[in-house]
Formats: sequence, structure tokens, C-alpha cells
Amino acid sequence: MPAPIETISPPAKAEKTPPGGFAFGATAMRLSARQWLIVIALVALVVTSVPRIWKAYEPFHPGPDYRIPYVLSKDYWLYQRRLEQTSGENNIYIVGDSVIWGEYVRPDGTLSHFLTEQSPRHDTYLNCGVNGLFPLAMEGLMRNYAQTLQHKRVILHCNLLWMSSPRADLSEPKPQAFNHSRLVPQFMPRIPAYSADASERISAFLDSHVQFFAWTNHLQIAYFDQHSLPEWTLQDDGSNPPSYPNAYRNPIEVLKQGIPSEPANDPDRGPASRRHKPWNSGGAEQTHFDWVDLDHSLQWNAFQHVVRLLKHRGNDVMVVIGPFNRHMIAPEQVATFDAMIAQVQKWLGQSHVQYVTPDTLPSEMYADASHPLTQGYEELARELFVNQTFANWADRGRGAK
Amino acid sequence: MLFFKWPFLLFMLVVLPVFFSLRKTRLWIPWLLLASYFFYGWWNPYYLLLVIYSTALDYLLVALMDHCPLAEQPTPIASRIARGPVDRFLRAAFTVAAVLTILLVCGALLGPPSLRPTFAAFAVLVFLMAAGARLASRRIWLFISIFNNLALLLFFKYARFVVQNLNQVFDSLNVAFRFADPSTLMPHGFSYILPVGISFFTFQSMSYTIDFYFGRVQRERNFLRFATFVCFFPQLMAGPIERAKQILPQFQKAPPFELANIADGLSLFLVGLFKKVAIANYLAIYVDRVYDNPEAFGGARLAMATFAFAWQIYFDFSGYTDMARGLARMMGFNLVLNFKNPYLASGLGEFWSRWHISLSTWFRDYLYIPLGGNRGGTLFTYRNLLIVFLVSGFWHGSAWTFLIWGGLHGLGVILTRELERSQFYRDRVPIYVKRAWVFLYVCFAWIFFRAASLDDAKLIVTRIFTTAWHDPRLPALALALILLVWLYEIIYESRLQDLLKFSSLRVGLATFMVLYLTLCTSGGGAFIYFQF
Repeated sequence: MPAPIETISPPAKAEKTPPGGFAFGATAMRLSARQWLIVIALVALVVTSVPRIWKAYEPFHPGPDYRIPYVLSKDYWLYQRRLEQTSGENNIYIVGDSVIWGEYVRPDGTLSHFLTEQSPRHDTYLNCGVNGLFPLAMEGLMRNYAQTLQHKRVILHCNLLWMSSPRADLSEPKPQAFNHSRLVPQFMPRIPAYSADASERISAFLDSHVQFFAWTNHLQIAYFDQHSLPEWTLQDDGSNPPSYPNAYRNPIEVLKQGIPSEPANDPDRGPASRRHKPWNSGGAEQTHFDWVDLDHSLQWNAFQHVVRLLKHRGNDVMVVIGPFNRHMIAPEQVATFDAMIAQVQKWLGQSHVQYVTPDTLPSEMYADASHPLTQGYEELARELFVNQTFANWADRGRGAK
Repeated sequence: MLFFKWPFLLFMLVVLPVFFSLRKTRLWIPWLLLASYFFYGWWNPYYLLLVIYSTALDYLLVALMDHCPLAEQPTPIASRIARGPVDRFLRAAFTVAAVLTILLVCGALLGPPSLRPTFAAFAVLVFLMAAGARLASRRIWLFISIFNNLALLLFFKYARFVVQNLNQVFDSLNVAFRFADPSTLMPHGFSYILPVGISFFTFQSMSYTIDFYFGRVQRERNFLRFATFVCFFPQLMAGPIERAKQILPQFQKAPPFELANIADGLSLFLVGLFKKVAIANYLAIYVDRVYDNPEAFGGARLAMATFAFAWQIYFDFSGYTDMARGLARMMGFNLVLNFKNPYLASGLGEFWSRWHISLSTWFRDYLYIPLGGNRGGTLFTYRNLLIVFLVSGFWHGSAWTFLIWGGLHGLGVILTRELERSQFYRDRVPIYVKRAWVFLYVCFAWIFFRAASLDDAKLIVTRIFTTAWHDPRLPALALALILLVWLYEIIYESRLQDLLKFSSLRVGLATFMVLYLTLCTSGGGAFIYFQF
């Protein structure tokens, strides 16, 4: 006698598995190979064309003292676009970290502003600094987002702060969070302080090599408060319970607002801000730096790569070393610091790269170990034009090497 | 290694071409096994030892079972022990097991303190093996397999829960005795963490020994093939729980390379990826914020978070299954269907024939039917159903909330059966009303599944029904995505099904999904069912 059929539940009326076949399920969309080819073609078309079309649609008109706003520091697609839009004969590009960007000053208090102002040839010095940048990240930025920087005159700032300790050098074998991690080399050389997992590293690698991903990041950073669209709709406004102000907002409307610009009255920057004061006004004292041996420094190594890359692209490169805030260095360490400077100069000389090492500015012109205040930048610009090497370099026409 | 992360793409870019190029050699099974072990070891290489151990033991037990007579011998146990096994293989097994038992007992008594519990556990296991070999009993081998697999599950998944509850009982009785935390039983240097997918691979391996015992499958003599069946990487972490008779025949011969399989697999994978990354991970943000802090929210937000969780877990788990089936399909293998529009079920019983089908059928075949199924009258059937659902609840997690969730589903199934007895309900109540109440009931049960504790679950239920309902703030985009998939499923089950076969619609939807994933996705955690 056959056993009774036993089931916990009656069978569903939905899709039946064909005998010997394969049941797809309700949400599966079965595409043939040919249909997949069409999908791939459509996606490829969108991926290659949309970022280009976007440039035509999105207004972007950087003025003379333009610098990438602080909130857009990680918008490398915009950085690339900024470089593409500046192709004048008299343009001189100043590349560097927050010292060039002007951490404590307003756009009209930066080095680029004063150099432009004092330039006898009426050259325009463009602020191509990025807040939070450091040589390892700068290498990634120059390699992947500054391809248009070819056969140009470039001032490259060398900030020895990044070699002032194993931690700053990122060579300390202790994971730490740092800015612009998506720009640093993801696989080689290995950065001991960088602890991202494989997925994050591959994702960062793709971001810097596929325009579409960089453009997607641009949208997220510039319009959606550095979030993906879904995360943006659930952005917490700090209230309890959170009210998600973007939950029912139309994202298209947000896209129409344009690229954010620097706040007109940034309370954190400029002579009127509370941060804009000499480094020792709050009682700060001289510091013992744990200088890294340049031969083993990741940051110095990366800086060397940047110099070589820029030269390889036919640029006329001038390196400005410092001026580091020497007043802040403990007296017994000054000799070590000088030896480092000498080593940097020696390498630049051997590499046939022009450089200047401006004198240290007066103590009251520094906000910290490396950032000048507004008067400091003005003084530095003056000092640079007085320097014969720099003046000769600046006096040369575009393309001369 | 998660299916939606870049390393997995690289993994597949290596595995697939090598698999196809090896399919005409004998190396394709070793390659699949190697890939599966690498995939599993990526999480934690130590976990791999557990998979290999479980696989090797079940393989050996079935081999030993195969050397025993099919029917239990009628001779008394004492005389069977005295006589010993006739089969040479069993004799050798007895000798080895006996020697190992002695060594392990010595280890348990005299070995390093951190290893003594491990030695003791293995001494029991090997002693049982010695007994099985001496008695030449298939039943003992089956018992050992079930004992071993359940012991692994119990130790890694439930031991802490049991110990904590027992210690609470002792505390309330003012008894000074306390059980030590199970982590103290781990060998030196190993941390006590739940191995990913343990509930799936142990069930799959166990089903093989049970099926072999009952003569439903042939013994698989090739160890590598059997090991590949246990840990086939697409379904290793979260199912579907495959049966030996479904998968092992597919592993006998390498499937041919077919472009249609690749296209089908990609189709499944894309839909699964979209469900997981675009919807489940998105809803998780909303749900987690509410469920992590339920006292801060009112009724509408709590109810909406529960609604969102119902979809989150569906998209998360069915998304994983779609991806798993898609990956297997690309290689030419067929995994079973695990989901069939569960939220369109018109009864709780039907819900379970649409939700996690491979688990439902596993419990039906290995628990419900052995308990007597529906052969003993209504009350007996309901008792069995309740037991099955309570065990199923406990399978999902070691907490009282999961037991209650299982119990609620058991009661729901019984209630549905009773309702279906009435002609009015069966014939007059519209199907959409039935679907609606089933969906609401399932959502209610999800509260217990998702809540961090029983207290939280009680709080959420209370607040849903007692606090004022304000704007729930579930983003319009999330709602639109849910409705889009829901609509697709409703059309799929309706007479308009042919609409979905339009080529341009499929191409358009696939393009939309790829672009959406590229443009709008955010990070996200592992699949929910990995914790089971």
C-alpha cells in the first residue's frame, strides 16, 4: 500500500519546475545571450557618454582665486575638470597639499593669489592644492586625474611635515584613518598604516581608472552630501527621532542646484576667524619631531615619483621646499632637519629639477608647523620673486625647460 | 567573500575560465573543491577545518555503513560484541577506533588543560565508532553522523544560549553552581565564534547520511566529489540546502559549456544582486536605526520598519539564492528553487511552500515525516507541525525570539488549516484578503525575528498599538523599489504574465538595474542568513 502523501503545506500555485528543466523564479528575468549583448552595449554607451555630456550640462566657472572647496576635497573628477578648463598661456599651476590650498586663509589670502598679484609678467598662478593631500595621495591624484597637466609650468610644493614622524609618513605598522585614502597606492608599495580590505582597494583602484565611477563620486560629493542616493534619502538631520528631510525630496531638483562653492564668509578661515592666529599664541611650545629617514620614507618616495611623473609629461617643474616652521623645531633637532633639507636638495639637483628653499618666515606668520597665515603667504610670494632661481624660472616662457 | 564585492568578481574571473578549460579532464571536480575551500577559507581559514572535518567524517561513516548488513542482525548485542565484525574493513575500523579511544581518553585525563575538553568530546565520538564497528550496525553510524553534526551546531550555535539560561535558572534558585562559558572549551588559540554557514553545510551533509541509510541515494565513493557536494561554493554559505540525489548526479560528469547557461546565470545573478545591493542594503539602513533603538520611535515608524524588514529579509535572502543559483547555472549546474513569491501566499502553509523551500522540505522529510506527519489525526498532526516550526525557529538562532517566531508560524499554519475547513473562508473570502492577512501575520512574526531581545520585541509590539501614528518617513525611493518588484511578482502570477516576456522590457529593466547598481549603490553588510 503506498504511503500517504505528506506535506506540511499545500504546494504553491506558482511556477512549476519543468521536468528535468530549470525553474527560474518569479523575479528572474531571463535574457538570452543576444539580449545581454544589447544590455552591455547600452550600458557601455551610457558609461562612456554621460560624464562627457554632463560637463556640458553642469555649469562650472572657476574664478581667478578658485580653489576646490573644502567639502569637495575628494571630488577628483572636479579637480580633473578644473585642470582641463585652464589652458591659458600664462597659467602656472601650483600643486600641493593644504599649505598651497590655504588651510587658515581665504582664497584671496593664498600663495597663488599673492604670486598672481605680484607677478611682473602678469602670469596667473592657479591654486591646484587640495586640502588634506599628502605625497602618497598626490601621486595618485597626478597620475590619474591630472593627465592634462602636460607641457605646463608647475610649482610643486614639498612639505617636510609628511616625513616628520612614522605616523605622518604612514609607515607606522598601525592602522589609521587618513584623508584621500582612495588616492594612495592600493597594492604596491604596501602602506603599513592602510588597512582597507580587498574590496575597498579594488573599488578605489576602479574609481581612479574608470571615468564613470569618478563621475558618480562627483555627483555624490557635490550634490548628495558625500552619500549615495539611497543613503542621502535617509540622511539623519540630528533630530530625535531622525526626520530624514530628504526622504521625499526630488533628487533631480538637487542636481539643478549646481556645484557648491566656497562659503562667502567661512568662519573657519581668513584673518577674522578664530583659527587665524600665530602657532604659539595659545601657549604651544617647540616640538620634538620623530623625523623619518628619507631613504625609507614612503612619502618622500611618493614625492619623488610625482616629480618624475610631472617631468615625464613635459612639464617645467619648480619645487618649493617648505618653508617649514623652523621656530617650532626643538633646537637639538635643527641639525637633523637641515640634513633632511640638504638631502632633498641634493636629490632634486641630481634629478635636474629646479628648486628654491625659501627662508623661514617670521614666527608670527605661521599658524602651525607648516601652514603660513595670510601675511605669511604674502611674504613668501615676495621672497620667491626676490629669489633669483625662482624669478628666472617664472620669467621663462611657457614650454621653455 | 561576498557575492557583491569586487574580490568575488576576481575570484569568478579565475574560477570560471579554469573550470571550463578543465571540464574535459578529471581535474574539474578538484578545481571546484579547491575553489570552494578557498571561498570558504577567505572568511576564516580555521573554519575550513570544521567543514573538512564534517565532510570527512560523514564520508567515512557512510563508507562504514556500506559495510554493514542492510537489516539489523537479530542476534543479541552481547554476542555481537563478543563475536566482533566479520567484515575486514569494519574490523580495521574497530581496531583503529579502539586505539584512538584509549589515546583520547589519556589525552582528556592527562593532556594540556586547554585541550582536555576537545579530547573528551572526540573520545566519546571515537568510542561510539568503535561500538558501531564492533556491532556492525548501520543505525549506530547514522546516529554518530546525526550526533556529530548536531553536536557541532549545538556547540557553536546554541551552547552559550543554553549555558546562560541554565545559569539564570540557578541564579533564581540561589544555587551557587554555574556552567562555564563555552568559549572556555575551545582549544588554545581558537576563538569561539559561529562558523559562517554551519547550519547549511551540516544539514546538507547530514541529509546525505540519512538518505543513504534509508536507501534513497547511492554511496558516493569519490571523496572529492562528495566534499564538493558539501561545500559547493555558490550555496555553501546560505543554501539552498541541496540533497545528494539532486546534486551528486550533476557532479558525475562535467556539464558542457553552453552560452545559454551563461546568459541564464547572469540573468539570475543580476536580479539577485539588485535585490541585495539596491534594495535589501538600502532598507537595512532604515530598519536598523529603528530596531536598534525602538523606544525612540512611535507606532508608525515601528510598523513601517517591520514592513521594511519583511522586504529586506526577502530581498536579502532570495537575492542571495538567485545569485547562488545564477553562479551554479553559469557552470551548468542546477540548484533548487528556494523562493516563489512568498508574500503572495494566501495561507501560512502556502507561505512555507514559497519561502526557503529547501529548508521547509528538509524539515518535512527529516523531522515532520519521522515524527509521524499527518498519519495520526488532526491533533497529532498539529503537534507535529508545532514541533517542526519550533525547531525551525530555533534553527534560525539561539534566542527566545526565534522560538516565538517559529511558534507563531506553527500556530499560523494550524489556524490557516482550520480556516480552510470552512467553506465560507475557502470559497467566499477573496484571495487578496487572504493574502493581506497572511502578509500582515508574517510581518507581525518578523518583529520577533528581527528584535534584538524579547524585551525589545514586546516593546515594539506595545508601541505599535499604543503610540500615536505619525509620518513614518520611509523614503519614496525605497517604497518605489519595493512596489516595482511587488508589481513584477503580481504580474508574474497573473494572466498578464506574457507582458513580462517582451524583449525590450527585459533589456530595459536589465539595463536599468546595471546602471542603478553602478550609480546608486552604497556599501552594505553580509547577507542576513549568513548568521544562521
